[in-house]
Amino acid sequence: MSILSKMLKNKQKKRQNDNYRQQQDPQKPEEQVILRSYLDNVSRIKGELGNSTDLVFREFTICQHKGTVVYIDGLADEKLICDFFIESLSDEEFDSRQEPFQVMADKAVGLGSLQIATEWNQVFDSILSGNTIFFLDGYNKAINVETKGWEMRAITEPSTQLSIRGPKDAFTETLRVSTAQIRRRIKSPNLWLESMKIGMVSQTDIAIMYLKGVANEKIVKEVKERLKRINMDAIQSSGHIEQLIEDQAWTTFPTTYHSERPDVVTSHILEGRVAIIVDGTPFVITAPAVFIQFFQAPDDYYSRFDISTGIRILRILSFYIAIIGPAIYIAGTTFHQEMIPTTMAIAIAAQRENVPFPAFVEALIMEVTFEILREAGLRLPRAVGQAVSIVGALVIGQAAVQAGIVSPVMVIVVSITAIANFSTPSFAMAIAARLIRFFMMGLATVLGFYGVMLGLMFLSIHLCSLRSFGIPYMMPIAPFNLRNQQDVFVRFPVWAMKNRPKFISKGNMVRTGENQKPGPKTKPDDQGPKGES
Amino acid sequence: MKRFVVTAWIAVMCLPVLSACWNQKELTDLAFVMAIGVDKGKDKKFNVSFQIVIPGNVSLMQGGGGQGLPIAIYSSSGDTLTAAARSVTKKVSRRLYYAHTNLIVFSEEIAKNGILNIMDALDRDPEFRTTTQMVIMRGTPAEVLVSSLANLDKLPVNKITKEIKATEAMLGENMQINIDDFLAGLVSDGIEPVVNGFRVTGDIEMAGKAEDLQNTKTKAILAADGLAVFKKGKLIGWIEHEKARGVVWILNKVKSTDVNINWNGKKKAISMVTIRTKTMVSAKVKKGKPVIQIAIEDEGWISEANTDVDLTNPKEIEKIDKLVEEEIKKQILTTVKEAQKMKSDIFGFGERVHRKDPKLWKKIKSNWDEHFAELEVNVKVDSYTRREGIRTNPYWKDLKQ
Amino acid sequence: MEKAKIKASQMFILIVLFEMGSAILVGLGTDAKQDAWIAILLGLAGGLLLFLVYYFLFSYYQDVPLTSYLQLITGKWIGRFLGFLYIVYFIYCAARILRDFGELLATTIYTSTPLIVINSLMIITIIYAIHKGIEVIARVGELFFAIIYLMAIGGILLVTVSGLIHLEYLLPILENGWKPVIKTFLGETLTFPFGEMVVFTMLLPFLNDAKKVKIVCFGGMILAGVNIAITVVINVASLGPELFTRSNFPLLTTIGKIQLANFIERLDVLFMLYLVVGGFFKISLYFYAAVAGTADIFKFKNQYNLSFPIGFVILFASMTIATTYAEHVKEGLHVVPIYLHWPFQIIIPFILLVIAFFRNRKKKRLARGT
Repeated sequence: MSILSKMLKNKQKKRQNDNYRQQQDPQKPEEQVILRSYLDNVSRIKGELGNSTDLVFREFTICQHKGTVVYIDGLADEKLICDFFIESLSDEEFDSRQEPFQVMADKAVGLGSLQIATEWNQVFDSILSGNTIFFLDGYNKAINVETKGWEMRAITEPSTQLSIRGPKDAFTETLRVSTAQIRRRIKSPNLWLESMKIGMVSQTDIAIMYLKGVANEKIVKEVKERLKRINMDAIQSSGHIEQLIEDQAWTTFPTTYHSERPDVVTSHILEGRVAIIVDGTPFVITAPAVFIQFFQAPDDYYSRFDISTGIRILRILSFYIAIIGPAIYIAGTTFHQEMIPTTMAIAIAAQRENVPFPAFVEALIMEVTFEILREAGLRLPRAVGQAVSIVGALVIGQAAVQAGIVSPVMVIVVSITAIANFSTPSFAMAIAARLIRFFMMGLATVLGFYGVMLGLMFLSIHLCSLRSFGIPYMMPIAPFNLRNQQDVFVRFPVWAMKNRPKFISKGNMVRTGENQKPGPKTKPDDQGPKGES
Repeated sequence: MKRFVVTAWIAVMCLPVLSACWNQKELTDLAFVMAIGVDKGKDKKFNVSFQIVIPGNVSLMQGGGGQGLPIAIYSSSGDTLTAAARSVTKKVSRRLYYAHTNLIVFSEEIAKNGILNIMDALDRDPEFRTTTQMVIMRGTPAEVLVSSLANLDKLPVNKITKEIKATEAMLGENMQINIDDFLAGLVSDGIEPVVNGFRVTGDIEMAGKAEDLQNTKTKAILAADGLAVFKKGKLIGWIEHEKARGVVWILNKVKSTDVNINWNGKKKAISMVTIRTKTMVSAKVKKGKPVIQIAIEDEGWISEANTDVDLTNPKEIEKIDKLVEEEIKKQILTTVKEAQKMKSDIFGFGERVHRKDPKLWKKIKSNWDEHFAELEVNVKVDSYTRREGIRTNPYWKDLKQ
Repeated sequence: MEKAKIKASQMFILIVLFEMGSAILVGLGTDAKQDAWIAILLGLAGGLLLFLVYYFLFSYYQDVPLTSYLQLITGKWIGRFLGFLYIVYFIYCAARILRDFGELLATTIYTSTPLIVINSLMIITIIYAIHKGIEVIARVGELFFAIIYLMAIGGILLVTVSGLIHLEYLLPILENGWKPVIKTFLGETLTFPFGEMVVFTMLLPFLNDAKKVKIVCFGGMILAGVNIAITVVINVASLGPELFTRSNFPLLTTIGKIQLANFIERLDVLFMLYLVVGGFFKISLYFYAAVAGTADIFKFKNQYNLSFPIGFVILFASMTIATTYAEHVKEGLHVVPIYLHWPFQIIIPFILLVIAFFRNRKKKRLARGT
């Protein structure tokens, strides 16, 4: 493992060096300047982009000056350019006294936001991100108009985080649509958005959104710094970003949260977290994240507090089952037979009578089989996926037991564990539990419950030592903070969640006004003291 | 540090391979010992029999199982319990496992002589539970009880432990006594232990045979019978039937029982069943001598009235209460007499004196048995009949008219 | 010294967990028979007085741990030597407790597992915690405090519902007079667990609010002391004084007696749960004190590098301090309190306090004079 990490380090160093060289390779200043001859400019673009066939050049004439429109087919809105610009040019007569460049600019304004570009860097960046560039013969500058208009996926229902009562829209791959979805939910001037480009080659657009005056300035700054530090050729998805801005690399637990639901991200922003939106991914990262957050589902807030409290405690319980379920079975049947009630012990013993493997191997076989089935079913087309699950159910549920390879109790244990694992709302947290489960099984095999207990101890130490953007991962629990218990194990009624979590947000802390407890306001006697308590 | 964590994990992960011979024990390698019987041996000191459960025959599995006998008996002899337990492994294919042992049976002979030589092994062993029930087999060897089968319970040992429990709950002539209770009585100065007795009647040979279970009325009958009285770790006598109930009553273990009283000359005409009862034993010092005060509070209902009695009349009920009180008092006092005759303080009167007056206790501790035999014991019973079932007056009243 | 800050509530929890740690498990004050609880409460009172000594020392030198102000009080070289002795004492105590826990597991459940395996797995977990620093240990403490309390309440409920409690077993009070109780108090309960607060002289500077030291420490000690006394009362009341005295681990025996509804029985594993948690905190704090002391005396910049070697020392010491459990217990009852606990917990701190008092008075006078 240490060798592996060393290798990784070496590779990273090399890659950094490569990037460094790319960055440091300075273009000569004169090469940066746009040329006066539009034909030269066109040939320069063709040369730089390797004469790519999706590049479109259309020539036009304005006030006797020749010019070219350059854009990339599929990225820019071609219809817009044709309708509004080229057609109107060919129709009209122009006053020759007017400055041709200015005329062109006036025309182009109708297309979208407009900039005057003087350097090649800007030109290439704009073309590649879907803008249109206008060159005019005799001018060493160009017009850069925002005409982004590619085909995008429509807003659909979220596919990974379902909710029963919440809104049904999800983010899409387009950054602007995502930011708009958040904006639509928080109509406050304090919702600030900053954007940057990350990735040496991919130049991926990234936006961070936060609520000014609520978000902790230090954390916002830290997020920005960590994002700026990223030095990679390409950012494919928010998963990349996530792994590059974590506090601690050596952990299975997610220390940032990601969601494809705008309502979840919005509520996180309202609590003072920072959202990181990456173009090309429908998953938005929010940070900092704490442990308990991965057990909060959007429906918790849409249903009544008592119900959601019960369900949340159930989820935490099932997380424990998912981690130590098979381990307890192993420990119980191989070390602590005295703990099992007599009749049950005899029943299990009878079932295991014909099983050829020790309990650990039996559990391992079943768990691994199940993981394989799950992994296979995950990526298959839906139709084939069903076939896999049928085969799985038959193989695991029936045949294995009938063949005497595993005992029925083991099947029950594996099923309970699997179902418990599914009940964790966050996939990232659930997958961490899956991995830890195998370690726990190993420990249970060595030393029974003592091993399991030590494993849990180890896990607790690890969890307590984690941080997410400087915030202790187990925050409102350890270090314990009484005032922040409003949304931990017990989800307080909405009217009682008066403050934002103190450990995340700074500044404006008030979330709910006074005396929000509902009830008939007719009897004045009831009001005063009850409303307070 | 990272390297350390990684190495540690690898080391831990290697352990399952290396640890095969430690405490790990697969269920299928264990022979669950359900009951142990201890008899006097011929050559060696003890002859110990182990009742081992056969899981496949007990548990209901789909497509088979449950056909053969639920238990198998193995016995061996040895001079100590450990020696016997170890030597029996020559005969059993699996490791004997004692954590689920529910019952330990001693023959009367063993109880009379050498029970002290066994108890420490049971007390010390971490696997063996001291909450295991203790029983003394009367007349026949302990092995008979250990090897007997039962028709109502899948596990024969459950028949015996549940029987004791049911008797304690419904009759009060026996009570659950485990090794802990026995040892507490053995060690403490002011109390002596009692142990349940069991007896097999009828055709003893049939007790361990499957064909006996084919009869609706089994030929061998197992039944709890009396309480064994110990003194200094040796069985010295038995307390039977109603007197045994007196013991259970004084020890405040009675949950429910029946008290029958005479009415207008008719013997045992009315049955009162207690719902709850509470016994308080306290000691007093009178003229430098300890006096024991037993106060019983008892609530019940009338379960049978085989005579012409007006149960709607509270005065009559009060009369019944009086009679019940007297009956209980009589029973208790005969029980105490019986124990005093044996000079064994099975009720823990000595402990009461000890707590009441430690100085006096120090003086009389050494010959407490003599003091106990002449101890003054006062009994006070308060009985209340709360209700009389779902009929008011018995039909005897109509028969009269 | 590590740059860490602990909240007052965290320090409180650490004190409670540390004090209860092993005191609840082993038969504390068994010599006093049914009066063990009196001996424990006396021990608590004595411990509180003793802590006053540590508190005054702390109030003279608020920012530095024991090993540093030893040098300030007695001079550089004597102070360093004494500090070194303290480190050895902490290591020895950690090793003793580790041995206790290992023996408990080895005698009850893991009868054929080698002791070194049990101990080394425990110490590996603790090394990991030490490596993460005192803040993390404090947080883990908070995490387990609630669990321990819920378990304790559950356990007490189960014991009561199973009808095991016979309060009359506690009578007669002071049967043999005060003598055995006082003897137990001086020889056992004063130094173990209450005198062990000497460890916190190494940890108090981490508290973020020095004013709260008094309330946090006294509160923690009182809570722990009361808890221990309650446990002992429950043990005696359910086992009787004879069995209580005869048991290696009375609490284990008590829990083993729980029988409820035919399936809640044989709950020894619950006990083990507590065992691991309690042992973890007790050993870690001794261990941490040793690591922090070593780093302080020998001027280590990065004390994390010390956790591994000292951990190994503790592990091997725990294996070698005694050959049999009987020897281990004998040492623990008759040798350690007199030759180790008394000097390190009571005599040296007291002498230090006297010297510190005069030194500070002189300083004050000098300050006033100039």
